[in-house]
Amino acid sequence: MSVPPEYYLILSAAVFAIGVFGILVRRNALMFLMSVELMVNAANINLIAFAFFYGNLTGQVFALFVIALAAAEVAIGIGIILLLNRNFDSIDVTEAVTMRW
Amino acid sequence: MTEFVLQEWTALAPPIVLAITALFLLAVDALAPEDENAGIWLAGVSGVGTLLTLIITGWFLVAGTGQPREGEPASAGAIELFDGNIVVDGMALFFITIIASVTLLVIVASYDYLKDHPYQAEYYTLAMLAATGMAMVAVSNSFVVAFLSIELASLPSYALVASLKNNRGSVEGGLKYFLIGALSSGILIYGISLIYVATGSLQFGAVTEAIVDGDITGGNGILGIGILMILAGFGFKIAAVPFHFWAPEAYEGAPAPISGFLSSASKAAGFVITFRVFVDVFPIGAVGDTVDWVVAFQVLAIVTMTVANFAALKQTNVKRMLAYSSIGHAGYVLIAVAALTGGNQAFILGSGMAHLFVYGFMNTGAFLVIALVEYWGVGRTIEDYNGLATQAPFAAAAMSLFLFTLAGLPLGGGFLSKFYLLWASIEGGVALLAIALIVNSAVSLYYYTRVVKAMWVEEPSESLEINSYPVGLYTAIALAALVTVLLLPGFGFVVEYAQTAAEMIAPP
Repeated sequence: MSVPPEYYLILSAAVFAIGVFGILVRRNALMFLMSVELMVNAANINLIAFAFFYGNLTGQVFALFVIALAAAEVAIGIGIILLLNRNFDSIDVTEAVTMRW
Repeated sequence: MTEFVLQEWTALAPPIVLAITALFLLAVDALAPEDENAGIWLAGVSGVGTLLTLIITGWFLVAGTGQPREGEPASAGAIELFDGNIVVDGMALFFITIIASVTLLVIVASYDYLKDHPYQAEYYTLAMLAATGMAMVAVSNSFVVAFLSIELASLPSYALVASLKNNRGSVEGGLKYFLIGALSSGILIYGISLIYVATGSLQFGAVTEAIVDGDITGGNGILGIGILMILAGFGFKIAAVPFHFWAPEAYEGAPAPISGFLSSASKAAGFVITFRVFVDVFPIGAVGDTVDWVVAFQVLAIVTMTVANFAALKQTNVKRMLAYSSIGHAGYVLIAVAALTGGNQAFILGSGMAHLFVYGFMNTGAFLVIALVEYWGVGRTIEDYNGLATQAPFAAAAMSLFLFTLAGLPLGGGFLSKFYLLWASIEGGVALLAIALIVNSAVSLYYYTRVVKAMWVEEPSESLEINSYPVGLYTAIALAALVTVLLLPGFGFVVEYAQTAAEMIAPP
């Protein structure tokens, strides 16, 4: 392997951290979705890089499943965000606070 | 008598039946006429499918499918399919029984609850798909299957919580459930990818082998972070404090039968994968130096019990109070993994499984009574329940039974299952867990009693008037109450199956 595997780990950790940061600071629900995508894709980087490293296909095949699943998750998410917009006239996640703990 | 042997793949019948029912519902919706009777068809098909699943699972359990035969060692007999990616064993069947029972109660109750709901077919289909996912979680034996089935259980649940599309509470609950659920699945999948980085495989047996042999890439650090992230991901699923923030919102906003479904069946699915992964895949003897997860679970269990029960104390909304009580019960069940320090491991694990079984009935029952109250249009706070017994004595009696059993009074199976958990924490030698369990049960008795007192002692407000007694909801509540009471004498039977199942993954 030309690129040492630990570089992939650092890349994926960085992408994951960006995703977590986005979730913590973004208030727009769509940006939140994109941040979740970043976290999932960070996992895909690991899976594919180490499938190559180990020379087995498990990681690659799982990554394909994860990509399809992320698409399904976004579909549900956009549906819920659409309802949010209809009911609250905004997609700011901090505005939907009719319930209190 | 000739003995006939089924093909091996038929061991997977319970989730297959659930999946076929979900698809069949879509066909029924397309073909059935759009009239007022459509609801009975949809509820009927889902009910029959779930009942069939329950019967098949019960038959498998009694017939000994996937369990050790006479004279075989306790860990033998599990049926492994698809190169060991799926396993049907006693624990899987035990949990599918819980999931199918809860789904059946919820479906029967939903028939009345959904009377004027415009998207009934979607509702039932999503519920059946979620049940399929939960059943698949119970049989998964690799991280691939586990992750995909957790998502198959979660994605329909998000939509179900938000299914009252014009109700702001429902949409808000759905949004919060979705956002936190998506975050948790992101953390879970990253944890799984780190396990793959460390061990090079995703099948449970192969991962364990690599860990036990010490054949780990990148040292113990990557493995440890992976285990911790998987722990966090599962923590979200079972709504353990500090990963519980979605639960009160989602349970309060969701249609009440769905709250019962999520807090019982979805929690059971979260626990079966937690038990399997932590007891079987990451044996404490091998990973104890990297991540001592028993200590992590001890902290989680005590914090979950305490925070949830004290938060429930100051709730005025009954549904939200029950939501916190269900978080507290997750804390009680966590004793089953937190006490795995020594002693008879199968006994400890089996007690947690038996508590989940009893909890499935009593907690769903309590949420169904709330569904009934919502159906009548009575308010949601404890004051609104004042004098309910004057108008609906059966519902009030059933609610009192469920609440006292949840608290652990000897009216139903909840007393014995809590007693077994207490015994398990002493067996494991963790006295702190036993103390937390007793103190929190005493605290919980106070807030449960507030509701019972409101129903039986307080004077009804003048506007309280109930003039309909829906058959479906009453049937479901009566069934849940009957099983809860029968579990008091019949608890030995449940705990025996639970411990046999637990012995398969945690030899005594």
